[in-house]
Amino acid sequence: MGIRQFRLIVAALSAVVLLAAGCGDEGDGAAEQDGEGPFTIGLSNGFVGSEWRTQMVEDVQQVFDEYQQEGLVDELIVESADVDVNGQIQQIRNLISAGVDAIIVNPNSETALNAVFQEAVDQDILVIATDQAVSSEVVTNVVIDQEEWGRRNAEWLAAELGEGGQIVAINGIAGHPANEARWTGASAVFEEAGIEVLTEGNADWDQATAQQTMSDLLATYPDLDGVFTQDGMALGVYQALEANDLLGQVIQTGEARAEFMFNWQEQLEQDTGFRSIGVVNPPGVAGSALRVAVHMLQGEELGEDALDGNTLFVPIPGEVTNDNFAEWFAEVEGQNPAYVVDGMLTEEEAAEYFA
Amino acid sequence: MIDRAVRSLTVGMRRGLVPGLTVTTLLLITVAVNALLAPNFFSSYSVISNFSSFVPLVAASIAQTIVVLGGGIDLSLGALITLSSVMSVVLMEGDPGRLPLAVAVAIGVGAAGGLLNGLIVAFLRLQPIVATFAMSFVFAGITLKVLPQPGGQVPAVMTTTYRDSVIGIPVAALVIAGLYGLWWVVKRSTLGRHLYAVGGDERAAYASGVRVNQVRVMSYVLGGTFGGVAALAILANTGSGDPYVGAAVGTALIGGQTTLASIAAVVIGGTALRGGVGGAGGSIGGAVILALVSNIVFFAGISGGYRQLINGAIVIAALALTAVPAFRRSPA
Repeated sequence: MGIRQFRLIVAALSAVVLLAAGCGDEGDGAAEQDGEGPFTIGLSNGFVGSEWRTQMVEDVQQVFDEYQQEGLVDELIVESADVDVNGQIQQIRNLISAGVDAIIVNPNSETALNAVFQEAVDQDILVIATDQAVSSEVVTNVVIDQEEWGRRNAEWLAAELGEGGQIVAINGIAGHPANEARWTGASAVFEEAGIEVLTEGNADWDQATAQQTMSDLLATYPDLDGVFTQDGMALGVYQALEANDLLGQVIQTGEARAEFMFNWQEQLEQDTGFRSIGVVNPPGVAGSALRVAVHMLQGEELGEDALDGNTLFVPIPGEVTNDNFAEWFAEVEGQNPAYVVDGMLTEEEAAEYFA
Repeated sequence: MIDRAVRSLTVGMRRGLVPGLTVTTLLLITVAVNALLAPNFFSSYSVISNFSSFVPLVAASIAQTIVVLGGGIDLSLGALITLSSVMSVVLMEGDPGRLPLAVAVAIGVGAAGGLLNGLIVAFLRLQPIVATFAMSFVFAGITLKVLPQPGGQVPAVMTTTYRDSVIGIPVAALVIAGLYGLWWVVKRSTLGRHLYAVGGDERAAYASGVRVNQVRVMSYVLGGTFGGVAALAILANTGSGDPYVGAAVGTALIGGQTTLASIAAVVIGGTALRGGVGGAGGSIGGAVILALVSNIVFFAGISGGYRQLINGAIVIAALALTAVPAFRRSPA
């Protein structure tokens, strides 16, 4: 009996809450996309565990400040935390509830945010995905071409080794879209150039795992000529090669990050014959995305040539090699070891996409 | 009147039918703070989207509760949920006609995975914490085989219904009510009583004729079944399949985030990790609290990095509050 009564209380309470919900203001809180500023911008970032993402947020802030001085934007709401996809859906829903005009998102999933993007677009909010493209057709992607990134690394390695060269690949997380795109680009080049890929392993973008994997692979394949790898794993590969006294003999792809470049610089100073490549993967791509967003909010439309489907590929800012090393090294010298070589669209370059 | 209400509250809590005082207090606080901070907390979009965000973790935390009550723990839960979701989405291919099949597959995969866990724990007598952690990699491996890259399409009817409301009540809220109802049925059943008995004192349960192994297996099967519901909720919420849907970015630990959050919800909800004490009502509250805290962190303009810290503090606070006599719940 007591229980029944308690349940009654619970039911009554629920009814009150639901009534309040029902009576609540039906407005969605989102501003209309009327082409007139100042605009409120939301940034959703679902991962904070890397300097790359920190730089990304800073780059967005920098572009935002520039627009704020022109009076085009008034508020930047940054949602940056380690979340899974469900957590990022919640981030985006909060941005929608906060009434932003545009959402810049570095998505944790290529597909699984599509439903919440639709919620945003239904409320006239512009959604731009950056760094990682999404499959939703209501979203504009502003990214670098990861396939090209893989291709440029592979072309350099293939040219260094020549036909018949034997390599191993140490890739990121299996099934991760950027990993798959990069490897698609790279493996095609290797096939074309007659480079033999002995094996492909995954070290999940983890430096220590990459070092361990590389040591194992060196024991398995003593006749190795080269290694294809990505991002922070390059330093792990470097350390394994160094431990086995193989730097300059087994040629590896590298990265355009300060810590790797410090080691590279040391090798150059000692003239050990070490050579590598660091194709830039700029955090500033998110700043480029904000430029595109502000143009779109003002009612401008992207030119036909600018888009590939719903994706705008911004150019890769460049690649670090032995030939141009000094030039790039000037940018990272004295920086935090985790600093990544950066670059983003200028206002003029962004405007050209709308011509 | 008040007296009677208080008495019925106490009786209800003793029976473990309703969330304890700790979780109720925390829930009321988080709801109140959230309502104060969020500008449109009671707008229809906000109410519906909030409830939609709750469901996956609510289902996962009920699943974890059942396993924990029986004296186990399931560290493979997140991976199993992910596996159920990708199997289901691959079979659906966006075709509304296949919805019943997809639902059956999600639930079936969850139950089957749970059965496997249960058999390993009960009959091979491996430590649940080790056995299920190992199983998480098995489920993760199959997940990547089934859906190597994000993809697959959920029929529109599933995503729109999930975001709909019936006479002003969000469908997602009804789903939560339904899940609580299912838990209530489980709890009142013979199996439910045996679950508490085995989790509370395995030997005493055995001595009084409870088939301990069978009960332990069934706790994982039931957990997996609720996990299947969590998988469907994830699909309805996301509209697509992704092997890394429940994982923190940059980790290859498929479903890792879901698993940890489900355990946090169980702890906040007042279910003892040693088993035998507590109930899913509290865990539902715990799951909602975790989601609301994320909102509060957002609307208070606190840097998102503090979210984990605050979540951790709440788990600790919930544990500490159970030590305060006034908040202590009598064992069920």
